Amino acid sequence: MSKLIWLHEDCLRATHQLFTHAQDPAHDKAANAVYIWDDAYMTKMHFGLKRRVFIYESLCELAVDIYAGDTIETLKDMQHRLGVDEIITGKTPNPALKSMMHGLRETVKVSAIADAPFVQMDSPPELRRFFKYWNKAKKNAFLYDGRP
Amino acid sequence: MEKQPTQFPDRAALVAHVKTLSPLRADDGVSETRGGRAAAEALLAAIDPAAYGHSRNYLDGAVTRLSPYIRHGIVSLNEVRNQALEMGDGKAIEKFIQELGWRDFWQRIYAQNPDWLWHDIEDYKTGFAADDYADTLPQDIAAGETDSAAMNYFISVLKTSGYLHNHARMYLAAYIVHWRRVKWQAGAVFFLAHLLDGDPASNNLSFQWVASTFANKPYFFNLENLQKFAGMEAPCDYHTNKFFGGSYDDLALKLFPDMEAL
Repeated sequence: MSKLIWLHEDCLRATHQLFTHAQDPAHDKAANAVYIWDDAYMTKMHFGLKRRVFIYESLCELAVDIYAGDTIETLKDMQHRLGVDEIITGKTPNPALKSMMHGLRETVKVSAIADAPFVQMDSPPELRRFFKYWNKAKKNAFLYDGRP
Repeated sequence: MEKQPTQFPDRAALVAHVKTLSPLRADDGVSETRGGRAAAEALLAAIDPAAYGHSRNYLDGAVTRLSPYIRHGIVSLNEVRNQALEMGDGKAIEKFIQELGWRDFWQRIYAQNPDWLWHDIEDYKTGFAADDYADTLPQDIAAGETDSAAMNYFISVLKTSGYLHNHARMYLAAYIVHWRRVKWQAGAVFFLAHLLDGDPASNNLSFQWVASTFANKPYFFNLENLQKFAGMEAPCDYHTNKFFGGSYDDLALKLFPDMEAL
């Protein structure tokens, strides 16, 4: 059994913490990383050609295999063919991607790993107006890694 | 299920391949801005947070152009902030870090209230109801053929480069929503289709801020402001932008005749 890294458009960076999470000391070989080029999803998200070229160029600099197709169908197919027991991906607020993760969890463990936070706070900020958030965030926002 | 190529003889070949994968978008243009970490690192090394602090509102100000890379996680906000800290501290970099905070703010809202992204968070404070605004973007705006030379310039830059300076986004968004009385959602879709950094949270919630459905008052501007901050790049003469002329009070009466006093 093995892990599979699923990159989506919010986490196109080799130093994202999801890669650290995907390291398996029991295996010498790093987990495969894939990006699913899902035309229907991109259309739903209003991605024009400019954006698509930008994403494709970014992928070409990463150690990632690109497959074209429906995201859930393609990942489920890979899961069965490759014996994947965990899909590791980047945490996202995007409900469409979260829905895909939810669909995948019917058959496989999915771990969504958060990126390094901009600022760490003791309690959730008030999000109704920016300066309510900022008055709380600025305490650590000017510190390295956003924390004391 | 076929693995796609990741090596191409040149950029034109890559673009041609992406077009085969995007049949409905094959006729669109392509930006000169390159994707990838190498391009992002070059921009990151060139940031000037102090200059950004005093020039960011001008179209030729020291902005970073990092937004498409931040949007796609190619660089993190944390990395950008840490780089800024290496280059200065205190008041000099305050505005730069605060602008990173806006991105964090929008993303936190997105995670907590995804339903806010496409729906009015609050009522318009313009004196108009949501039904008073058109559902679709007028064709002359989509084509960049409006009666304003400045707005046509911004639309052209947006469509060819996939980037607009933040102040230009605010001008164009305000023009769409307040001068043309079009629902902010129609403008948001237009921006998302062209911006390399198009992010549902940053884009849509900024549109709602301009529209006043996520702010206490509508954002609008006058010709004097447009000339001051955009005149070095965009055609901002009175004769091709005359409906922006006048004081803020005069424009408020014209644009929002039923609005309660600001």
